[in-house]
Amino acid sequence: MKPSVEAPAVPTLEAIDVGTTFADAGGGRIAALEQISARFLPGQLSAIVGPSGSGKSTLLHALAGIVVPQQGRVLFGDVTLSALDESRRDAWRLTHCGMVFQDFRLIDELDALANTLLPAQFMHLRMPAALRERALSLLADFGLPPRSGPVARMSRGEQQRVALARALLLDPPVLLADEPTASLDAENGRRIAESLLAVARTGKTVIAVTHDEKLSALADQRLTMKAGRMVLPHPVRQP
Amino acid sequence: MNPWPLIRAALARYRWSALAFVLLVAAGVALSVAIVSQERALRSGSARAADRFDLIVAAPGSRTDSLLSTVFLRPGSSQLLAPAFSAALLNNTRGSFVSPLAFGDSYRGQPLVGVTAALVEHLSGGLAEGRGFASRAEAVVGSASRLQVGEKFHPAHGVQHGGENHGGDDALDAHGVEITVVGRMQPTGSPWDRAAMVPVELVWETHHLPGGHAPGSLQLGPPFDVAHTPGIPAAVVRTANLAEAYKLRRAYTGKESMAFFPAEALIQLYAVLGDIRQLMSLLAVVTQALVLLSIIASVFILFRLLMPQFVTLRALGAPRRFVFAVAWGFTAALILAGILAGLLGGFALSFGISGWLAQATGVSLQPRLGGEEALMASVLLLIGLVLAGLPAWRLQRLSLAGALKDY
Repeated sequence: MKPSVEAPAVPTLEAIDVGTTFADAGGGRIAALEQISARFLPGQLSAIVGPSGSGKSTLLHALAGIVVPQQGRVLFGDVTLSALDESRRDAWRLTHCGMVFQDFRLIDELDALANTLLPAQFMHLRMPAALRERALSLLADFGLPPRSGPVARMSRGEQQRVALARALLLDPPVLLADEPTASLDAENGRRIAESLLAVARTGKTVIAVTHDEKLSALADQRLTMKAGRMVLPHPVRQP
Repeated sequence: MNPWPLIRAALARYRWSALAFVLLVAAGVALSVAIVSQERALRSGSARAADRFDLIVAAPGSRTDSLLSTVFLRPGSSQLLAPAFSAALLNNTRGSFVSPLAFGDSYRGQPLVGVTAALVEHLSGGLAEGRGFASRAEAVVGSASRLQVGEKFHPAHGVQHGGENHGGDDALDAHGVEITVVGRMQPTGSPWDRAAMVPVELVWETHHLPGGHAPGSLQLGPPFDVAHTPGIPAAVVRTANLAEAYKLRRAYTGKESMAFFPAEALIQLYAVLGDIRQLMSLLAVVTQALVLLSIIASVFILFRLLMPQFVTLRALGAPRRFVFAVAWGFTAALILAGILAGLLGGFALSFGISGWLAQATGVSLQPRLGGEEALMASVLLLIGLVLAGLPAWRLQRLSLAGALKDY
């Protein structure tokens, strides 16, 4: 298909009738996602909300190519992400999708710069100077010192900002955040939420699974899930 | 890809466990290396010590005992050759020279040996200091002797330090003769470096035996008077060539005496030494294998603790091979460090043992790392690197979706 001149610079991430089940303790299957359809537009911050166990994180993992849905498809532009084999999904995630986690998942013994550069270590034996410059620039943007010792000594707010810098190192078009403010105090939670919105405004597709009302209030799109289903899709608003 | 920063971080996180693993591997390797290196040093050191003794003639009995008491100057009882046989042997001119070995006396733990000047010259190859003995009350000492040239001393009966018969008092055990040190030999790397060599006539005289020459004669060395030569424990025969050595060996092997090349007795000792070494090496290898296995098992447990990090890597898009490289590199680094430390530690251990043995026996040992140790370490490293793949292989197979929930 020939791309139209109106097509966005960043492809749209889309879930179409996505469904999957997990094995339960009794040997049966339980539905984790059922017929989920959603579009996530570039330049927007989307919030996925809902009670615990509603399937929010599973949906996020499906969008990241970590979970392969048993029904439906996940598309990124004209790429059917859910049809790729694991190594290609890994490669896609590395270059197209930054991940931020509730508990940051930093390497405690490394400093902020080394943690930020981590995704590049998967690809490069010797770190390209441009990536090092970008990492330093991101850390500076987030008000972080690059060499202040192991990140374990940093505050939780600082650690989450390092995690955000790491997610953005390779300039991915998609940023997925799983409860990014859950383990932060109100002030740090607000700063991270604003940072996610700012990232979205640079043209990236930002999706956050959250219980945080303040974060979801900032979102351009709010999707509510319950028992593996989407119960209240909020209309997409133009940024 | 570059897994090293993550390997380094994991090593830093579990530095004490890592150190314990490295020390365990190092201990096993060091033990093996020390055994192999020490055995080789013992072989070469003892061979070097015996090198200047062409042929030994002694009363029939154990060649090993005779070797130990003649070449290595170890205390021991030995039968004497018959006086007439001794005189004929000492006067034999088919060899370059024949020197009696009359041991049994000492000075403060240092053996005193009655010999001829020719043997001193032969062992030393030119003195380092002073001159050779020219009268019965003179001595030439080995390079490591505590006696100085010009010093006078009274030898004691017996070879035990501090005298034999009077509770360790050399003065009470001392012979009446006063001996002056007139020369010092070059180092030989043998127990003779700590000995004092005197004319054999002096030893006979102090033990109230015939002096080898007509009464009143001051002659030293051959020819010895058949009528006045006592039985000797052993003699060293220096031969002009190998053929002559074999002829003399045959000639002096019989009812009255045995003749042997030191190498013959050393080979028997080496065989025993080799058996012991093989047994110890086997034990060391088994120990190393157990250590490696226990480390691999421990690494499985450590990796459970490191699982959140590995899951994070996968979630960020790290390929499986990267996770494998980190996990494998972590274990491999421990094993490699342990083996390198073991090689150095083994050499140090061997060096220490050599020093102690040299102190105890006088045999100069020069341990070094050889091909056998390098091969052993390489094989162990190879096995270790292969085994290190087990936890890494298991880890990289983890299901990311499930692991993200669990970790």
